[in-house]
This record gives sequence, C-alpha cells and structure tokens, in this order.
Amino acid sequence: MKKLAIYTLVAAFCGSAVYAFSAADKAAEPAPAAAAAAKEPVVCFESRKGASEITQQEIKPGLPNVKCSPTTGAALWYGDPYEGTVPMGKMPMLEKLPEGHAVVKPRSEKLALMPMCGTACHNGVGPNANPPTLPKDKRAKPNPTMEAMVPDLANLQHGRGRIWCMDCHHTTKRNMLVDHYGDPVSFDQPQLLCGKCHGDKLRDWRDGIHGKRIGDFTSTGKKRWFTCTECHNPHNVQDGARNRGFVQLQPEPSPQLPKGMKDAKHELMHPIPH
Amino acid sequence: MTIKETPQACPAKEHPPACTTPASADPAASAPKTSRRDFLKAGGMLSLSSLMGTAALMTQSDDAEAAAEWGEHFQKNYRLMTDAEKAEARLRLERRYSQEYGKQVTVDTTDAQPGVLMGYALNIRKCIGCRRCVHACVAENNQSRGTRPGEKIEWIQVLRMERGEFSKDKMGHGYPEGLGIQVGGNAYTPAGQVLEGQYHYAPEAVPEKDATYMPIACMQCEKPPCVKVCPVRTTYREADGPVVIDYNWCIGCRMCMGACPYWARRINLTTPVLPKEEMNPVTHYLGNRPRMRGVVEKCHWCLQRTRHDRYPACVEVCPVGARKFGNLLDPESEVSKILERKNVFRLKAELNTFPKFFYFYD
Repeated sequence: MKKLAIYTLVAAFCGSAVYAFSAADKAAEPAPAAAAAAKEPVVCFESRKGASEITQQEIKPGLPNVKCSPTTGAALWYGDPYEGTVPMGKMPMLEKLPEGHAVVKPRSEKLALMPMCGTACHNGVGPNANPPTLPKDKRAKPNPTMEAMVPDLANLQHGRGRIWCMDCHHTTKRNMLVDHYGDPVSFDQPQLLCGKCHGDKLRDWRDGIHGKRIGDFTSTGKKRWFTCTECHNPHNVQDGARNRGFVQLQPEPSPQLPKGMKDAKHELMHPIPH
Repeated sequence: MTIKETPQACPAKEHPPACTTPASADPAASAPKTSRRDFLKAGGMLSLSSLMGTAALMTQSDDAEAAAEWGEHFQKNYRLMTDAEKAEARLRLERRYSQEYGKQVTVDTTDAQPGVLMGYALNIRKCIGCRRCVHACVAENNQSRGTRPGEKIEWIQVLRMERGEFSKDKMGHGYPEGLGIQVGGNAYTPAGQVLEGQYHYAPEAVPEKDATYMPIACMQCEKPPCVKVCPVRTTYREADGPVVIDYNWCIGCRMCMGACPYWARRINLTTPVLPKEEMNPVTHYLGNRPRMRGVVEKCHWCLQRTRHDRYPACVEVCPVGARKFGNLLDPESEVSKILERKNVFRLKAELNTFPKFFYFYD
C-alpha cells in the first residue's frame, strides 16, 4: 500500500508538471523506483543466445525456478521445467501422447517484431502491389529496413543459395510460416516446416533422439519440447567457423587443477612430437 | 559353552555314546540355557536398553546435528534397514540438514520402481564441450564447491580430443624419426587418443573446429568393478540400474576409486564446502544429500529426480540435446529407440563391465 501511495504521488506530480506528457511519464517514472526496490531480475538464455530466455525467480523459499551460470549467463539448472509453456498443438504421429503432455515455450513471445510483420508492412495491401507481387526469379532484393531488423538476412546461410524467404515464410501472412500445401504454420511449430526437408531429423526429434526435451522422462510423461528454432538459427545454420549445426558458445569454467599444479600445459604435450 | 552344556543335556548313565555327538546346529534342539546365561542376557539387555534410552534422549535434543550423529552410530547398512528404520533415518537427516542449511530440506527414500531399468545415451557427435552438464550436476547434487585443493568436486569430466589429420608434409615423419619407414609417419598424428585428451581446455568459444569432446561420468555398469571391491558393501547396484553409495557406511578406503575404469568416483578429502543458498533442498538418501568428509561419491543419475520420473539435471541443460535418458525396459523410450536405430558403443566394452551408459552418433 505504501508503495502504491508513492507511485500515485509520483504520477500526480508528473501529471501536474507536464500535463501533455503525463501518460508517458507515468510509465517511465515508476520503473526506476521499482528497480531500486527489487533487485535486477536475472535473465539467462536456454539453448543458444538470442533464442528462448528464462527469468530467475523463487518457486518456494530457497528453491529457484532456474539457476544461471555467473560465467556465461546460460541456464544451468531447472527447478520448474514447464514454466511459461503452452501445449504444443497437433503433431502428426504424436497423437498417442495424452492431452497437454507435450508443451513448448512459445517462440512468438521472443519474436517481438512478429505481430507487426503481417500488419505494418507485409499486409498484402502495400503501396506497391495489391495483391502483392513477388519477384519472379525468386531472388530476395536487398532490403535495408529488413536487414537492419534481422541482421542475418544480409547473408542468408541456409540451403546454399537454393532457397529463399518465401520457401519458409507465408506469402501473405508474414507472421506465419508455410507448409507444403501453402497453409500457414505457427512460429511455435517450426517442426512442421523444417520437417519438409529435414525429414530424418524430424523423425528423430519426434522420438526424442534429436533435440532436447525436459520434464518427465517416461515415454508418455509431460515434457517440454524444444522446437527447431530454439537451438538452430534458421537464417544462419551453416557457418564455416564451426563444424556443427549449432552456434559457438562460451564454455563454462574448467575443473580444478590437481594440487600443486600451476597450469594444465601437460595436457598439450604429446608423447611423440608432431 | 557347548562342551560344558552337553553333560547336562545328556545324562551320562543312560546313553554314553550319544553324548559324543556334537551339539546340533538346529536351534530347536539347542541345549537348555543355564542360569548364568540368563543372567548375562538380562545384564546385556539392561545395558542395551540404557544405551537406547540415552540415544532416545539424544535424538530428542535440540541439536539436530548431534542427534543425527548419535543415531548414525547405531544405523545399519541401508540395504538391511527396515522401512521403520529408514523412516527414522530420514527424519533425523531432514532435521539435521534443515537446521544446518536454514531451509526445509527433504530426504527422499523412494525405492526402485518395478518395470524400470534406467539407461543413458550420449550423442558423441553433437557434444560441443560447453561443460554445462558439469555445472548443472554440481548445482543439483550438492557437491563441494570450495576453492582450495580437493574442495571442488565435479562428477562429469569433459575430455577434449584432437582431431587427427593426415598431411603431405608429415609423410616422412614417424619412427625412426625422419624416415618414418616403420610406422609410416602420419600414423603418429593424434586421432582422438583418450589418454592424451585435455580436461582443462578453456577456449573463447566451443566447439572448436579441430576438436571433439567426450563427456565421461559414472557408467552405472551392470557388472560394476567398484561394487566388487567395496570391503563394507556400501556401494551396490539398485534394482532400477544405478550404482549407489550409502554414504554413512563408506569408510573412505578408496578401493572403488581404484577399481573404476572410468575415473567416475570422487572422494571428499576435506570437509565439503556447500554454501547455504546454493544447497539443493530436494535430496535422496542414496543420491544428493550432503556428504561428509572422507566418503566417496559419484553420479547416481539424479536418483532424487529419476525416481520421480524427472530427467537428470545434465540431460535438462545440455544445449545441443546430446544427452538422452530413459527406461530401457520401455521400447518407446528415447534410449530404447537409440539402441534400436543408431550406432551405439560402450566405453571400454572389453572390460565386461556392461555399462548402461551408451555413446552413439548419427
């Protein structure tokens, strides 16, 4: 109650001072006050940087929902594996799973620009075309606005020049992906799109061999499934600097050196020089 | 005793030859007890009951630590404990840990569930060597995390191995040096040699192009050499697979550490350093409850989680999904699917330890 009173005071003060900007000020003023009262929330990334994230909080006293690495900022331990998840939706071949036992973390939350795509620019009623026309040669024209928002687009590293935007994104509903029939697919179910080409991976993912699931390990238990794009950046899946389909990461600290040892140079020595 | 008692059981005047037979091993046929024995027995019972009375008094004292220590002196090997004794031990430990760590700590004693045989699989091609599993394990399993020698314990080791290469300029290398006639030069380039791997690698970013990574922890063998050598039988294989340790019965002799071919076991040479705020309050008796000084510990596949159907901590944090866990008796589980479909190997299979930890690759 006391806090509320302070906020009201602050808001009232701002409102009287600059009436025209009162709405903006009200939103801006309480934020620092709240930050000062509560500690800065710890947010850590889950699989790769730039994909799903999780905010640290306590489930019950002394038990956090997640522990984050102080070195790399990666999620290191899950207290609650299902936090912030929604049911995965229909997936072929997974019908035998009990209702609600396959959950995913919605990607749409993270993709902040996504709701805008279909309404602001790619609404199908743009100034240039109605209905929109797409380049006949299926080559994306350089688009500085788009590249500024999604830097990976400048140099698309997927398909080795043999695919373009509209092979994955829906033509008129840009906040959706597209399947083989041209039907829209949610960003939360990228597996329906990726499996078009990567069928072997989809099969392994469905059986839990490829990719990652957390929660209950029994075959019919409730699991949070990590979807394709939580681990792979679809605009940059091939990169010469690494040798796997996964982006490079900073490793966690190395183990303690044996007693009396100053460094681990002995590990670099080979019995036979080469 | 037997010789003394026999004349009383068998009067000499009736059947002298029968009396030469030794006393029967059958308890029903035992000789009648002497009054001296009764006296000793009564005395023993008296002293025992007085001891137990003291124990009862001690366990009711306010100091949970002292009560637990006192109780532990009279505790049996976990496998021999009755359900009531297990419940008592559990209560004692919960009180002790809750007081010590300043939060509500639970000590689970759930037994192996029928129809479950735990199995683990690791995709050796996917591992990027980020060591997140190592630190997840520490966060989950209450290992010692001090900074002085021997105070930092990690159960998982990630081994970095160089990729081998065959190059033209090395054609002349090899034994004898400069000629390379006997082994052909290039054959001496490392190509994933385990014993020359690195544990302490620290590059800016992983995976490195010229390296592969191999995480190693307890393999939960079906024929565990560590169990064979344990002189106090404190380490044993549970019915659902994992090899566990009753820390209270461990004498710290480290025979198991010598016997393990996978370098999986660690000893608390010092008093474990476990900060209160980092302590995981969800524990299992045979799993991650805080250990004491001088006992051996190792991976137990997060019994406190897996007995309640939750994935182990290392599986949950692996960012590339290289770690897989499941029930080997369930043909639909991920591990069963991997064994059915992928190329699988066991580490040091030639030792006939039959690990339930499988390495595989796509």
